[in-house]
Amino acid sequence: MNPVILYNNDTSANVPVEAPVERQFYPYADNGGTSLGIAGADFCLLASDTRKSSGYSIHSRYSPKAFKLTEKAVLATNGFAADGLALTKSLCQKLEWYKHAHDKEMSTPALAQMLSNTLYYKRFFPYYTFNLLGGIDDQGRGIVYSFDPVGSMGTELCRAGGSSAALIQPFLDNQVGLKNQQGAQQTPLSLESAIRITKDAFTSATERDIYTGDYLEIFIIRQEGVTVERFDLKKD
Amino acid sequence: MFLTRSEYDRGVNTFSPEGRLFQVEYAIEAIKLGSTAVGIQTSQGVILAVEKRVTSPLLVSSSIEKIMEIDSHLGCAMSGLTADSRTMIDHARVEAQNHHFTYNEKIKVESVTQAVCDLALRFGESAHGEESIMSRPFGVALLIAGIDEKGPQLYHADPSGTFMQYDAKAIGSGSEGAQTELQEEYHKSLTLQEAETLSLKVLKQVMEEKLNNTNVQLAAVTPEHGFRIYSEDELQAVIDRL
Amino acid sequence: MSILEYNGGAIVAMVGKNCVAIGSDKRFGVQLMTVSTEFPKIFPATDKTFIGLPGLATDIRTLSERFRFKINMYKLSEEREIEPRTLAHLVSSTLYERRFGPYFVEPIIAGLDKDNQPFICGMDLIGCINFAKDFVVAGTTTDSLFGVCESLWEPDLEPEDLFETVSQSLLNAVDRDSLAGWGAVIHVVTPERVITRTLKTRMD
Repeated sequence: MNPVILYNNDTSANVPVEAPVERQFYPYADNGGTSLGIAGADFCLLASDTRKSSGYSIHSRYSPKAFKLTEKAVLATNGFAADGLALTKSLCQKLEWYKHAHDKEMSTPALAQMLSNTLYYKRFFPYYTFNLLGGIDDQGRGIVYSFDPVGSMGTELCRAGGSSAALIQPFLDNQVGLKNQQGAQQTPLSLESAIRITKDAFTSATERDIYTGDYLEIFIIRQEGVTVERFDLKKD
Repeated sequence: MFLTRSEYDRGVNTFSPEGRLFQVEYAIEAIKLGSTAVGIQTSQGVILAVEKRVTSPLLVSSSIEKIMEIDSHLGCAMSGLTADSRTMIDHARVEAQNHHFTYNEKIKVESVTQAVCDLALRFGESAHGEESIMSRPFGVALLIAGIDEKGPQLYHADPSGTFMQYDAKAIGSGSEGAQTELQEEYHKSLTLQEAETLSLKVLKQVMEEKLNNTNVQLAAVTPEHGFRIYSEDELQAVIDRL
Repeated sequence: MSILEYNGGAIVAMVGKNCVAIGSDKRFGVQLMTVSTEFPKIFPATDKTFIGLPGLATDIRTLSERFRFKINMYKLSEEREIEPRTLAHLVSSTLYERRFGPYFVEPIIAGLDKDNQPFICGMDLIGCINFAKDFVVAGTTTDSLFGVCESLWEPDLEPEDLFETVSQSLLNAVDRDSLAGWGAVIHVVTPERVITRTLKTRMD
């Protein structure tokens, strides 16, 4: 690094003074955005908004952060978009290698474990992403995995992630997990109900969270494959 | 101009004008000096059986290990220079554990076989001049048995790095006779118990000594118990059925 | 960590059809350690008005007493009950007096005025009032409360439905907050009477 040379005003002491200059680079950003996953008996729903922002400015109204990785799994990445994209790219490559080495598509639980390891390998320079992996397992049951940036993994019935996680999670606990509802019977959640709850959750989050909005993409993963539906959210 | 075969025997990585790698072929020949090993795949599981050459009455026969575990769902029988198999089995075990660590699932039988065979041709000098791990080819052949999502399977891996799947396969000194016998006796609806007796029956026919519970080793890979080497008592029970 | 989050707590108020409801948790803690599960955060101002004070426990107790004093003085000098809207401005100016050394509370006021019209409002720790038409939230659980309230609240709820909505919002929100919970109190104010109920919550 080049030291800046400061000159003393006193001409009699016309000696250059060297002072160190500090520069810094912060390698992370928070691009906001929210995702949500619900595991059904024979389906899995994974939804994300498509806004990408930084501070008070919206960079993009349509910049998806949920990606289909296999015919049975979809990944949603929240947090730092560049890391999310890099991670997704690296996962897709690993999936391709796996396919060639073992002559089969990777199962969702295997993918979850691999993602956990991939995150942990960067324990000391993490991918700054909060991931949700939704899919169906080998028995055809819906399953949602959630991860922290360094690879802690958990399986969940329902999970919200990203900037509106705190806003949506208690609502999901109540409506999907039927928490605090006395005498409520846990009946298998229908896909229609799951979609309705998802839309409600996102319209509510959009009202109060400036980082969530524009469009909503709902991925539905079933034994037959993955379908995507797109809806409008408020753009303010 | 007519070169004798011996000139191409020298370099382990040199093709002969007829397009052969003699050292690899000799390695395959070395297997035929080894004790006989048999593998039989059934719908209920895979059986591995080997002959142990107890060359001296003072030899502790239990110290001869020719069937080894690779993972809880994978076993392996060998014939030839069994010392060479240590490298291969070590590699197979690491590969199986690595797979479980990365994917939280059991490695496929074919994948672990492929991993072992990837080692087979890493002898001699490599193209970039870096150190290679071995000076000569492996002198051992493996029968790899296991169970995965495709069911019970048996693979044969030889020093050339080629591997093939078999319903039933014999390797080692008695392999020719044993293979013929297996071909006659094998059918798709063989039970595990029938495979136990068939494997010993085949060994008995090709062994010079009289077969007993110390000069053969028997193992099975089943969906219920995974890989398991038979105890002397269990082995005796099978011998009694012969 | 903000001093507003030192003791923990959550309060929510909602408007219904000719009624209002206000609810709070009952926890008093010191950071992550729970000290008491019977700590009141909502105080009656008049027969039809409540004031909720989430924030630093010591300031909650000080202010609850100061407001009791001021409300009584208002009643004596004005010879009438204070209106919720008036109370809001009283609270606001009391807080703004300490603009540069504030009380660490974010009060919420809920009540019915003299015409039995519902009134709710919230404010920040220096008295900036937020007059809301639907619901207000405050405390360590604001994000979660905003999320659930935004989803569960609807206009013109009858008292019993409003009670259920406030309860469900509060309970599910505090269950995701380690600094709030351990029991809850809900007051529903109707022109006729005040319905007060204590709720059990998960204790973790």
